[in-house]
Amino acid sequence: MRKFIIIFFLLFPILSAKADTIYNLIKIPNLKVYEINTKNKIKYFYASGGFRLGVEKNIECFSSDVKSLSSKYQTIHKNISQYSSNFLKKINLKYIVMCENLSISGTSTAGIPNNLMKTLIIDIKFNKNYFERSIHHEIFHMINDSFSNIFDEKVWKSLNKKKFKYAECSTCTDKINLSTYNKTEGFFTEYSKSTASEDMAEVFSYLMFDKNIVGEKIINDIILKKKVFFLKENILKIDSKFKFDD
Amino acid sequence: MIKKIKVTTLERILLIFVIILAIFTFSSLIILKNKCMFLENYNPDKIKFSKPENIAVLNVPCGNVIIELYPDVSKNAVERFKLLINSKAYDEVAFHRVIKDKLVQAGDLEFGRKNSLDYGKIGTGASGYGTINSELDSNFKFTKGSVGLARTFKNNTEDSQFFIILQDEPLFEGEYTPVGKVLYGLEILNKIKYQDHSEYVLRPDFINTLRMYE
Repeated sequence: MRKFIIIFFLLFPILSAKADTIYNLIKIPNLKVYEINTKNKIKYFYASGGFRLGVEKNIECFSSDVKSLSSKYQTIHKNISQYSSNFLKKINLKYIVMCENLSISGTSTAGIPNNLMKTLIIDIKFNKNYFERSIHHEIFHMINDSFSNIFDEKVWKSLNKKKFKYAECSTCTDKINLSTYNKTEGFFTEYSKSTASEDMAEVFSYLMFDKNIVGEKIINDIILKKKVFFLKENILKIDSKFKFDD
Repeated sequence: MIKKIKVTTLERILLIFVIILAIFTFSSLIILKNKCMFLENYNPDKIKFSKPENIAVLNVPCGNVIIELYPDVSKNAVERFKLLINSKAYDEVAFHRVIKDKLVQAGDLEFGRKNSLDYGKIGTGASGYGTINSELDSNFKFTKGSVGLARTFKNNTEDSQFFIILQDEPLFEGEYTPVGKVLYGLEILNKIKYQDHSEYVLRPDFINTLRMYE
């Protein structure tokens, strides 16, 4: 037994030197393949261990149990399947990373898009009331990162009431509630009021997740109606075959 | 008077054992020293190819690796690869990145040459012809033996470096530009020098020659 242990420890560094293809591709450690044969060519990975990212290692996420992964994968896959491979290629999204308790500098977040790495990290333990919609919200950030010239913030801001001002950044405001307003007045949620890009992402998420609410709210809200039109028009500039909320 | 000592049976057995052990050790040393032993060296002249104009012969320390190039899959990448092959640019260039049972990578024409190897910069060199755009639209399957052009972290940075994979790599699909596939001699690439703790190889093996068959 003792000899076996000695041999194991002698061999261990050799075995552990094997390269990690996923890490080489997207520079996130401790990931394993969950599903790679999908119709729209999205590759799903999951965290088999926790990881820290960023120059200051301020992005953190943890591994998840098989049961949670299985159920959340179905939900994520269902929502991401709404996007064609052609569209996903245009917005540079190829990899979905599923993990638990995602945070940036200690602040919880639903997802972190990374356009350069073609990756979207999703917290599978994010508030279940907003989980599905938040997937589309994060996808809009991928879209915006690829086509920021199309989604002109100045034009967007001009759609709001003259006196309204967004916060300086999405994390420097306490407007974080994601519940749908009964009386929208130009904004679907409180979080919409944080920044122009978050506002666009919120409108887009409703367009993709619940077109009934969108239809209902824009009847009496001219600002929201303009915002919905702006987004639809510009998304169709990226992909004329794009379908909202199939 | 010298007394004659009789050899016992046990001593005879021991002597035979020592002789066998010596033969075994000696032959093992020869086998271990010659890493190319038991490998078939493929002669392209003895093989019939359906598209001989797309056959490249990579000669490495243990023999020939025969590669079919796919201009129909990646037109520009194969064109660049052929240009460099025909100018003999890959001769005596290092396999600078080798991952055991996974991939071998070579083709740094600036810092990977045998007579001017630069360990500090190897893997970052250029060919002098500029970069080319990635060709990722095909549904090419990166199965064992596939040959692709290496790139930096960004797309459209392919130049002269290429890799050959020693196992199936489905995650490479749509990530790297394919240029062809090894038809014969993949096992020869398993003998390319690698290091256990690093992807980058100190005192690496070199390409002897890389030529188009026709």
